[in-house]
Amino acid sequence: MTEKSARIIPPGSYPQMLSRADAARAMRTLRAPETAARAALVMENSRPALRAAVLALVASMEQAGADMARVHETVREIRGMAETAGLASTGRIAEVLCRYMDDMARIGHPPDQTITALHVSAIARAARAEKDDARMGERVAAELAALVSRKLTEARGGPGAQP
Amino acid sequence: MSGAGFENLKTLIVEDNAHMRSLLRALLNSAGIKDIADAPNGVAAIHMLRERKSDLVLTDMAMQPMDGIEFTRHVRTSDASPNPFVPIIMITGHTEKHRVEAARDAGVTELLAKPITAANLFSRIAEIVERPRAFVRSDNYFGPDRRRHQPEDYAGPWRRSGDFQDVSVQ
Repeated sequence: MTEKSARIIPPGSYPQMLSRADAARAMRTLRAPETAARAALVMENSRPALRAAVLALVASMEQAGADMARVHETVREIRGMAETAGLASTGRIAEVLCRYMDDMARIGHPPDQTITALHVSAIARAARAEKDDARMGERVAAELAALVSRKLTEARGGPGAQP
Repeated sequence: MSGAGFENLKTLIVEDNAHMRSLLRALLNSAGIKDIADAPNGVAAIHMLRERKSDLVLTDMAMQPMDGIEFTRHVRTSDASPNPFVPIIMITGHTEKHRVEAARDAGVTELLAKPITAANLFSRIAEIVERPRAFVRSDNYFGPDRRRHQPEDYAGPWRRSGDFQDVSVQ
């Protein structure tokens, strides 16, 4: 077989996840309103535990201080869980910090500790707020994203970069 | 009709976060998927696959000591893999292009971006049930066909010079 050659194995010639008869019934189950209702209840019931887990991660991220690798790893976990936990604002701000840290790593610069600390503080405040204020979170995330964008331009030595 | 169709389905969840494992299990249960095993990382999952048949795998991407990408590659290409064709849904908060491409190139069947919702999880399962993918075996890849949408009457242009003449159907 050459580098470019490929052998196609059609679905009928390898074992399928479900038999044909089960597949038709499974599709009806997946599309049934009662399945959606049960799943919605599961999501609702899972939120308190997930929220507690996010708060524990936030505390761990705050303790990480200048350990950027630990902050990066923890904020990824927070991003993955926060919105599922109903903490949309926390998730959005965590997303901004994740992208900043990912981009800085990609261009080979360490993340700015002040920028990182600002995000960590905003994430902690959003996560501990009594009620998730999506509009406020959106605004904070947008402002932090603008700041991150400027800092990334500087790090890349683009227009407007500080000498 | 609760759970009809999934009575015989054996599922494996590979996830290092206990809360997310529990959420996934509960969501699968709500669709009537009851026969579920779980593992906290890729290494444990490989042992689990050898001991217990699995028809569907849900795996996280970022785990230690073996992540979801390495685990998927092992399932697809290892001689010791009990079922290289098993559908794998990778769940991840890492949606950067290079990570998505790495997951695809390892042989994942479907990618599910966090935050997890029931609708998104069920739609990935439905995609596997309704539109099972052809598999491709080449010198450097084994897994679901990465060119997802290919009309039967498509006559080109082809992406690679040897695309048409070198493809054989088993």
